[in-house]
Amino acid sequence: MIDPAWVSGLSALLFVIGLAGAFTRKNAIIVLMCIELMLNAANMQFAAAAVHHGDTTGWVYTIFAIAIAASEVAIGLAIFLAMYGQHESITLDDVNGLKN
Amino acid sequence: MAGSGSTEVVESTALEYAPYILLLPMLAFPVILFLGKMFNGNKTWKDGLKEGGLIALPVMAGSLVLSLWLVTDFIGGSGAGETEKWTWFTSGMWDSGQVTVREISLGFGVYIDHVTVMLLFIASFLCLLINTFAIGYMNTDPINDNRNHRFYAEFVLFCSGMLGMVLADSFLWLFIFWELMGLCSYLLIGFYYERPSAAYAAKKAFLTTRVGDVFLMVGLAMLWTLFHPHVDPASGLGALDYAVVFDSEIIDKVAASNSGTLAWALGLMFIGAVGKSAQFPLHVWLPDAMEGPTPVSALIHAATMVNAGLYLVARMFPFFGAESMHGELADLAFIIAAIGGTTAVMAAAIAFVQHDLKKVLAYSTMSQLAYIFTGLGAALYLANTLHWHEYLADGTKNPDYYVNHGIVIVAFGAALFHLFNHAMAKGMLFMASGAVIHEVHHAHHHLHPHDDDHHEESPEELLMLANYLSDTGQSVFGFFNSIDLDQSGEIDTYEFQTALKNAEIADLPPWEMQRLMKALDMDGNGKINVPELELTLGRVHLASLSGDDHDDHHDEFDAQSMENMGGLASKMPLTATAMLMGSLSIMGFPLIGGFWSKEGIIANTWRVALDDPRFFYPAMCVLLGAAMTGFYMSRMWLKTFAGSPKTDVAAHVHPTNTWIKTPLFILTFMSLGAIVLASMGFTHWAPDEYYKPFFDGKKSFLEGFVYEMEHAFANSDSFFFVLTYVAILLGAIVGPGLALSLYGGKLDEGEKVLPWFGPVFAINHFVKSRYHWDNTSFGQSGFATALENRLYFDHYYDMAMLKIVAAFSFKAAEADSSVIDGTVKTIERTSQQLSTKLRSLTTGSARDYILMAALGTLGLFALIWGVVA
Repeated sequence: MIDPAWVSGLSALLFVIGLAGAFTRKNAIIVLMCIELMLNAANMQFAAAAVHHGDTTGWVYTIFAIAIAASEVAIGLAIFLAMYGQHESITLDDVNGLKN
Repeated sequence: MAGSGSTEVVESTALEYAPYILLLPMLAFPVILFLGKMFNGNKTWKDGLKEGGLIALPVMAGSLVLSLWLVTDFIGGSGAGETEKWTWFTSGMWDSGQVTVREISLGFGVYIDHVTVMLLFIASFLCLLINTFAIGYMNTDPINDNRNHRFYAEFVLFCSGMLGMVLADSFLWLFIFWELMGLCSYLLIGFYYERPSAAYAAKKAFLTTRVGDVFLMVGLAMLWTLFHPHVDPASGLGALDYAVVFDSEIIDKVAASNSGTLAWALGLMFIGAVGKSAQFPLHVWLPDAMEGPTPVSALIHAATMVNAGLYLVARMFPFFGAESMHGELADLAFIIAAIGGTTAVMAAAIAFVQHDLKKVLAYSTMSQLAYIFTGLGAALYLANTLHWHEYLADGTKNPDYYVNHGIVIVAFGAALFHLFNHAMAKGMLFMASGAVIHEVHHAHHHLHPHDDDHHEESPEELLMLANYLSDTGQSVFGFFNSIDLDQSGEIDTYEFQTALKNAEIADLPPWEMQRLMKALDMDGNGKINVPELELTLGRVHLASLSGDDHDDHHDEFDAQSMENMGGLASKMPLTATAMLMGSLSIMGFPLIGGFWSKEGIIANTWRVALDDPRFFYPAMCVLLGAAMTGFYMSRMWLKTFAGSPKTDVAAHVHPTNTWIKTPLFILTFMSLGAIVLASMGFTHWAPDEYYKPFFDGKKSFLEGFVYEMEHAFANSDSFFFVLTYVAILLGAIVGPGLALSLYGGKLDEGEKVLPWFGPVFAINHFVKSRYHWDNTSFGQSGFATALENRLYFDHYYDMAMLKIVAAFSFKAAEADSSVIDGTVKTIERTSQQLSTKLRSLTTGSARDYILMAALGTLGLFALIWGVVA
């Protein structure tokens, strides 16, 4: 049995990697993947806590988060498609209409 | 089927099946509508099932059979009764002042008494006959093709509305079905909704009756408030159930404290009846309702709609008849009679100058319904002011019971019997007029095929298209290929619409496109091919060059105008006979149909007038109205059927088809047979011990016949003896005599007629040649003009509506744009200004926002950490 502390540590690492990726990369799809990474880090943390406390609530949260992440990806990709239709690119720097 | 315990459930199989009388047509409604939608244009559907007509027919026949069963049971002695209620829904109701919540259930039950039975027979019988007529009338006119299913669906729904209203066992259900009829009348009057006049008439009928309905609803609400405290909660009845409102003990309790309020409630309900039965001053919708197809006119005028108002007034009888309301409702009864009298004379006067065959009948309906209202008013007055119950209020035996009871029942019966006779005669007259119009229309088509109805004037857009092609030098074939997007060789509506848009000729909405497609589509497959386009465009172009003079001719020809008829007696013998019988019945010609009831109404109104001088007004009105009825009905018949044909069209009219003839034939005998019913004691219509012998067969038919004849022609009371002969003189001699001297004349040489027309034409010829009045001075007088303009009621109503409604809408529009829209727009403007300012703070880069969000979260986290730790 792995010590939940290790799992927590791994999840924290994943989260930081995701966060760093999210605000350094320009490609929208990669940013989306990074966001998913952060979500999964949180899921892992939930799972670890569920094992640690012997409480199933954590598992339930995980399942919910996965379901929501799936729909979020669908919406996100749809937005990118629309974005590509408008700007012919999915580079986030090109999408700054609100500013102007 | 949860019986929620109504009073005295009568064991009778006919009664058990009574709800099906209205359920059958109601269920047929969706069936016809959806099948019609699915199989529209299908050959079997169109010829085999007559687009739903042959589905509606057995359904209405089923209703009639069940109704007849119920009627024979009723007459056979099962008497008044009620069924258990079919519970519709149950709900809790909290009563103010009570701690508990009590459960009420709303269910439909059937209530049978003599008024129900009579109207039930009228409605189901005439609905069946009109249905038969409609198959011959609607399905033979190409203008109705592929949309008759809509007619039949709405028709059966209309019938079920009327049957439901008659059978209902509470004022609430009465109101629900009342409104269902209102809806169906709107749909059917507006059947030809593509004609602006029909759409207008439908709207007018709906809105005018709505004015009355609002009052009816308020009246019912008042009635509910009055009766609700007296309902026994354990009975599970609602405060508007007939079992409650007609319970004499409950009426006594209500009358003791609130007799004035009860009078007001009934008065408001009467306004509802005035609207529905087209009485002054809510009569304006009825003549315009002629815009619907003729079967609809027959349905509205004879079988359903207008009878509803009379039924409602007849339903109020128990309130008027209650001993505890003695004398309290006399004023209301007078108002009912006075409104009836006013309308009777007014409508008859307007009918004098109408040229449209159906319009004469419409005003005649209005006038005859007014007779029934007057009769009901008189009967209700008698019921309210005479002590006619077996025991007086103090419990002693009433010495005048026998005489007074008879007077009340006879007066009430006369009004109801006139309702019966009028329904039969008017149903027949409308169907006969429909047959005449139908055949005149066909004859016109036959004689002038080039200007038939269905391509009216060529649409302007087509002329523009033709000009566009000649201007741009395109051939029709080339143009066709360029717009045939899917290269199918035919263009559909959508392709044509796009083409017109691209050529910048017109951007038309779909319904306008339908009209255009119709003008082009010769084979009727819904699509246009090259020859069709080429031919039509060529014709349009030619017409534009030569000027279209024959279209003007078409516009002038009106198949409903009596000016275009004349001399039809030899061409359409059966229709002429039916129309003659119907007219004589309406006129109250001795021994025929309406005579038996009209004399009764006149006599009873005068009987009341002897007691109460106010009633001299309606009494004079009905007497005058009798002469006027004689005049306008004779005028109508003579102008249509006698004399020489006034146009070449009228000379080429042919007899009509069997579907149309059958109901006319049956109804002719119904009008003639009124004497049989009168002899059987039907004028009294309330089987009590006084008249029961007639129903039980203890008195023979012959005795009844002698009794009726004696009362009509040799009344022992000298006043009524004279009155009868005065009424006959006015209605059957003076009025028709005047018409005979002015209109009609001999048929053309060599025209053969049925034997019974012989005397009519002989008298006509004799009177006309001897006393020919010159009525041109009257025709040019201001009064005649006023009559032709329907006494300017429509004009002033429109003016008033314009002043009130338009002024109000104008103010409302101002309030809308400045207050409501103003608020929204201010919010919008402010937020836009605000966001413009805020926009300068942003960088526009998504990564910056992510960074900010992360840092913010971190900061928040640190903050919470700091606070907690």
